[in-house]
Amino acid sequence: MLLNIKNLQAEIDEKQILKGLNLEINPGEVHAIMGPNGAGKSTLASVLAGKDNYEVTAGSVAFDGQDLLDLDPEERARKGLFLAFQYPVEIPGVSNKLFMQTAVNAVREEQGLPPLDMFDFDAYAKDKIELLEMRPDLLERSVNVGFSGGEKKRNDIFQMALLQPKLCILDETDSGLDIDALRLVANGINTLRSEERSFIVVTHYQRLLDYIKPDHVHVLYDGKVIKSGGFELVHELEENGYDEIVKQHQQA
Amino acid sequence: MSPMAQAAVEHYVGLSKQLNSSEVNADVVTARQRAQTVLLAQGFPTQRDEAWQYTRLVNFVQKRFEIATQRPDSTVDLNALQNFLPPLSPSFEVIKLVFVDGCFHADLSDDLLSLPKGLTIQFTTAQLPDEKRVDSEAFAVLNQALLSDGFTLEVSQNSAIETPVWVLNIQTKSNQLNNLTNQVQVASNAELTLIQQFVTLEGVEACTNVVTHVDIADSARVRQAVLQQQADASFYFHNQFVSQADNSDFNTFYAGMGSVLSRHQNHLLMNGEHIENSQNSACLARQKQVVDSRTDTEHNQEWGASRQLHKYVLADSAVGVFNGMIKVDRLAQKTDGQMDNKNLLLSSAAKMNSKPQLEIYADDVKCSHGSATGQINQDQIFYLQARGIPRNQAIEMITKAFLMEPVETINRSEVKKWVGGLLSHALLTGGYFSGGEA
Ligand SMILES: Nc1ncnc2c1ncn2[C@@H]1O[C@H](COP(=O)(O)OP(=O)(O)OP(=O)(O)O)[C@@H](O)[C@H]1O
Ligand SMILES: [Mg+2]
Repeated sequence: MLLNIKNLQAEIDEKQILKGLNLEINPGEVHAIMGPNGAGKSTLASVLAGKDNYEVTAGSVAFDGQDLLDLDPEERARKGLFLAFQYPVEIPGVSNKLFMQTAVNAVREEQGLPPLDMFDFDAYAKDKIELLEMRPDLLERSVNVGFSGGEKKRNDIFQMALLQPKLCILDETDSGLDIDALRLVANGINTLRSEERSFIVVTHYQRLLDYIKPDHVHVLYDGKVIKSGGFELVHELEENGYDEIVKQHQQA
Repeated sequence: MSPMAQAAVEHYVGLSKQLNSSEVNADVVTARQRAQTVLLAQGFPTQRDEAWQYTRLVNFVQKRFEIATQRPDSTVDLNALQNFLPPLSPSFEVIKLVFVDGCFHADLSDDLLSLPKGLTIQFTTAQLPDEKRVDSEAFAVLNQALLSDGFTLEVSQNSAIETPVWVLNIQTKSNQLNNLTNQVQVASNAELTLIQQFVTLEGVEACTNVVTHVDIADSARVRQAVLQQQADASFYFHNQFVSQADNSDFNTFYAGMGSVLSRHQNHLLMNGEHIENSQNSACLARQKQVVDSRTDTEHNQEWGASRQLHKYVLADSAVGVFNGMIKVDRLAQKTDGQMDNKNLLLSSAAKMNSKPQLEIYADDVKCSHGSATGQINQDQIFYLQARGIPRNQAIEMITKAFLMEPVETINRSEVKKWVGGLLSHALLTGGYFSGGEA
């Protein structure tokens, strides 16, 4: 198993957000997580990535056989966990290229590989730029500064393509993308799919899922997974909304 | 004034009198005497003086800095200096002038007989500074009381001096007052790039007090970089009195990277039409350092454009002070003035005191000022960490990027690269990140 989340409970500012969440992900699987606003989807993503203002109060997370919660955020990233942010951050003055070269070399160091110099990196990045049809000047600019909403999202997927992680967590990467960008991002994700690589795709919409066809779909509500199923669950939600499922859960 | 400050004034007036006793130039004697009177009357500023509220002179007035008596000082170890120089030197071609302990050192400098056409450099006090402008600043008055060393640099009409003039000031001895009075005169349609660098040998506790007068005639262009890298226990005071004529362009950059207390001031008069200038700085301080930078910009005629960006990075319990005033005369219509100050605190004990001000007497002007102080955004650090970059390195990357923004305003690329390199080296090796929290 690549990721095993057991009874995860987490709080922020003394407010409990995750309330006993369970999730198992095997290598190569694509899981979609849907759920109403405020359910805790981004909180789950942040806790997995290691953001320190969340406090884990109970439960465990095993990633590739290790205790994930014991690792610093950078160690998690180096071991192959990747989060595409719901709101990618702007970093004035740090060039996107230097940032990604540093990040790629950090991961390579972990893998015992020699660092890529500027020229090696350019060559390595070239395919990924083409894959996502990135405007080349975005690489020269400061990280996400002055990028449009869609460009920021695409930049995160570009980073994912460069870092070749084992587990990709995409938090609403589809929101704010135009139709063409959505197709490119979906295509990027599909290109990265492999037997070893797994995905957690957080989304509110069916469109992205139509492209990438998740193996499992989960409904997250009030800090817990309240229903899991196959792709058909997406259609059910699209038609009936969350009410029915939430009601069933509350009755149970 | 405290008895301590009074005693300091008397000490420096005494030094001034001592200089006068062996002075042959009557004009210099008069200038020093006048300054003695002003210094005795005004004394050194105290904390009650608004312009010195956060830049306290308590430590300075306790010291009794001396002036070098041997000139040039034959006890200076030239071999040691030869070894000290290379890591500082620019990698591009320069005209090199070296001052050691306040004295020009011909052996360490380039041959002054082979200067480019249109450039002359002298080391006598050829012209005396404008008294009225000087009197408002205690350290400029002190400078005049001790008037003796410095350079006078002239660029003749229509001469574009391609090669930057690099003036390196090295202080090798503690307890000395390194008093320099410089004059820069750039004639009509001429061009000059000037770099002034202030360093001390390790551990030196000295005081550098500089006045630089810069006269920029019509259509002339002056680019300047001032780099202050003195040892931790030294003091630095620099008053720049600049005046610009019609259509001239002045670009000045200050990098403050040393001294226990440092204060760099531009007093800039825009006495013509269509004048442009850009005043920028990047300052670093840690431990208990106080780093102060000020600009006083007077738009006196129409169509002037002034730009400013000042950035500070403060660690430990360092104190930063920025004070900027843009004054727009009622004649200065169509003025376009912009002044920004941004500060990054690397510790919660560091403090920034920022006071950008506008005083506008014309009605058709575009002026803005802004100031922002804060710690590094945690979301930025996390974003870099989430890509595998260690927290410390993330903090360094973000801080360096923050500090480098004003460096972009340096318009000669080789100077920009060199200054950027010095600043980033100082930031990354100077112990700014050892304090822990960010
Ligand atoms: N600092 C905080 N203090 C208190 N509550 C917080 C804090 N940060 C987040 N929350 C709350 O945590 C809950 C879960 O937020 P989260 O961002 O995980 O939701 P989400 O499922 O991603 O929602 P969306 O679909 O809108 O992105 C929300 O109710 C939110 O208001
Ligand atoms: Mg969310």
